[in-house]
Amino acid sequence: MAVEKSWRDKALQLSTLPLLVVFGTFFLVPLVMTAVLSFQGTQYYRLVWNWDLQIWSDVFSQRHYWSIMLRTLGMACVATFLCVAFALPVAYALVNRLQDWADHITLLIVFAFLTDAVLKTFGWVLFLDRTGVLNGVLEALGMGKAATDILFTPYATMIGMVYNLLPYTIFTIALSMARLDRDLVLAAYDAGASRWRALREVTLPLAMPGIVAGGVLVFVLSLGVFLEPKVMGGGTSPMAAELIRQSFETRVNWPLGAALTLVVIVIGAISLAAFGGLALRASRKRGTQA
Amino acid sequence: MSDQIIEARGIQKFYGQYHALKAVSLSVGAGEFLALVGPSGCGKTSLLKILAGFEAPSDGSLRIAGQDMTGVPASARPTRMVFQKLALFPHKTVAENIGFPLMLAGKSVAEIRASVGAMLEMMHLKESYLNRYPNQLSGGEQQRVALARALVSKPPVLLLDEPMSALDAKLRKSLQAELKHLHRNMGTSFVHVTHDLEEAMMLADRICVMRAGEVVQVGTPADIYYRPADAFVAGFIGETNLLPATFTRSGNAVRFDCPQLRCTHPLLAATQVSETLTDRSGLLMIRPELLRILEPGESADCLISGRVSEFFVRGGSLQYRVTGEGDTTLILDLPGTMALPLGVGDPVRLGCGTADLFAMRG
Repeated sequence: MAVEKSWRDKALQLSTLPLLVVFGTFFLVPLVMTAVLSFQGTQYYRLVWNWDLQIWSDVFSQRHYWSIMLRTLGMACVATFLCVAFALPVAYALVNRLQDWADHITLLIVFAFLTDAVLKTFGWVLFLDRTGVLNGVLEALGMGKAATDILFTPYATMIGMVYNLLPYTIFTIALSMARLDRDLVLAAYDAGASRWRALREVTLPLAMPGIVAGGVLVFVLSLGVFLEPKVMGGGTSPMAAELIRQSFETRVNWPLGAALTLVVIVIGAISLAAFGGLALRASRKRGTQA
Repeated sequence: MSDQIIEARGIQKFYGQYHALKAVSLSVGAGEFLALVGPSGCGKTSLLKILAGFEAPSDGSLRIAGQDMTGVPASARPTRMVFQKLALFPHKTVAENIGFPLMLAGKSVAEIRASVGAMLEMMHLKESYLNRYPNQLSGGEQQRVALARALVSKPPVLLLDEPMSALDAKLRKSLQAELKHLHRNMGTSFVHVTHDLEEAMMLADRICVMRAGEVVQVGTPADIYYRPADAFVAGFIGETNLLPATFTRSGNAVRFDCPQLRCTHPLLAATQVSETLTDRSGLLMIRPELLRILEPGESADCLISGRVSEFFVRGGSLQYRVTGEGDTTLILDLPGTMALPLGVGDPVRLGCGTADLFAMRG
C-alpha cells in the first residue's frame, strides 16, 4: 500500500515534531530575540528597554561599522572567486586526468580538511612569519632578509580563508564533474571541438550547479570567518565576526551585536536567495521540472 | 578496390592484460553500409571507438579517406558518431545541438540556420522543436536529433553505436527503414554496431561478424545467412539445422556422407563449401525454410524421414519440429496456412535440394 504523503498525515506530523521543536527553540526564538534586542539600548553596561532605532542608525551612519561590513563583503567575494578559480582546475584534473590517483589525492584533501582549523592557521603563521619557513627559503635563494612581510595583513587573512575553504569548492565541483556523462565530452570532440572548446561548451555549463553550490557555500562561510582575521590578519583589519564578538564580550553592547548579526544574516540570506533563484531559472530553462 | 574509405590493418587493442582486439583487419568502401555484429564483449564497440579516435589501437594501422589516422584526434577525423545513449547536450536546444559541429567549424549564423533547417526536414522533425531542449522530446525524436547532429556537416563516415537498442520494437522498425533511406540519399559510409543480426541483415550491404576480439566472417547478408563460416555465425541469426557429416574431396566437388540424410547425388559444388572446412568431419547446414514436406510418392535430391514432435503457429509462418533418425531434431519453416498440414506424432518425409546445403567447420 502506498503511503499517503500529506502534511495532514498524523504519523508524519508526529515524526517531524521533534525537529520542529528543536528548530523553533534553538533557531527561530533566538533569531526573534536578536531582532528584538537590536531595538534596545545600553547604559553603563546594562541593557535598557527603550525601543528605538538608535543602534540601527549607528550601524549605518558610523563609518567604523559599515566599513567593516563592506570589508567583510569584499573579502567574502574575493575568497569565493579565488576558491572557485583554484578549485576548477583541481576538480577537473581529479576527475578527468588523475583517475588512478584520485582516491589518494581526495584522501589527502579530506585529511587536511579535517585537521583542526586552529592548528592549520597557526601553521600558516609559522610559515609566513618574518623569520618563518617562507622567508628562510627566500633568503637562501638570495632574495634578502624577510623578503615577504605579509603576515598580519589582509593578504594573510585571505590566504588563510582560501586555504581553509578551498575543499568545499573542490568537492562540490568535482562531484558535479564526475556526474557528467563522459559521452557528452566525447560527443563534443567528435563534433570537432578542441579540449578547450569542449570544456567551455560542455563541461563547464554542465558543472555549473556544482560551481554555484560551492561558491555559495564559500561565500556564506566567508561572511562568518573569525579565526583567520584574528590569527593571520593579527586583528589589524577585523571582519564582521570579530566585530560582533567585541560588541557582545568586550563592550557588552548587546543591541549593537544583535544588529550587526542581523546585517550578516541578511547579506547571507539575500545571496543564497539570489543564487537559488539563478539555479532554479537555469534548471527551468532546461525543462527539468523540479 | 581503390575507393576504400576505411582501411584498418592488424588492429590490436589491449586493456591491461585483456586482449580486446586480435589483429582485426577491415575495409569499408565509400558509400557502403557495413554492420559490425557480435555478442557483447566481442570487441565491436572497441573497434568503433578506435575508428572514431576515442581510443588509440595498441598496434596496427588505420587509414580513413586515404589518410593515416595515427595521432589524429577525434575532432580532426572525417567521422561522426551517433552514441548508444545519444549524448545530446542537455543544456543546448535542438537547434544548438544540431548546429554544434557547424558552429565549431566557424560557419556563419545564416549558414548554420539553413543547414539545421534542411536536416530538420530530412529527419521529419517539426520546426517548433528547434527551441526545445532534448529532454522535452520523445525517445524517437531524440534519436532523430542525434542523427541530424551527426550528419549535418555531411561527414564521409557515420559511426553508429547501437543507437536503436533502447527503443521499443515498433519505433525501431520505423527508424531502421529511415536509416536505410538516409543511407541511400546521403552517400555517406555507415558503420553500424549492433548485437542484433536481424537488424544488420535488414540494413547493411556487408556484415562483419565478430567474436572474442576476432573477425569471424565478412560478407553480404546472404553470405552470412546461407554461407556462414561456422556454427557460431550460422546460429547467430534464427534457428538452423546443423547435421554432423564427413566430407571427401573429389576433384572440384566435395562428396559428403551424412547418416540422417539420404541423397541421390551426395556432391557439393565448391561454392557450397566454406573455406573453413579443412577436416574430414564438419557440419552440413540446411536453413529451416529450405526444407519442405514431401507428398506421398514425391521425391527430392535429399530425403529425411521422421515424426512431428511439435509445431508452432507464428502468424505469417509455421514451424515444425521433426524428430528424424538417430533422435536428431530438425526444424522446418513453412509459410502460414489456414489448415495445418500435419499434427504431432504424424510420420513425415522431408526433402530439400542438394544445392540448398552448405558445409562448414564443425
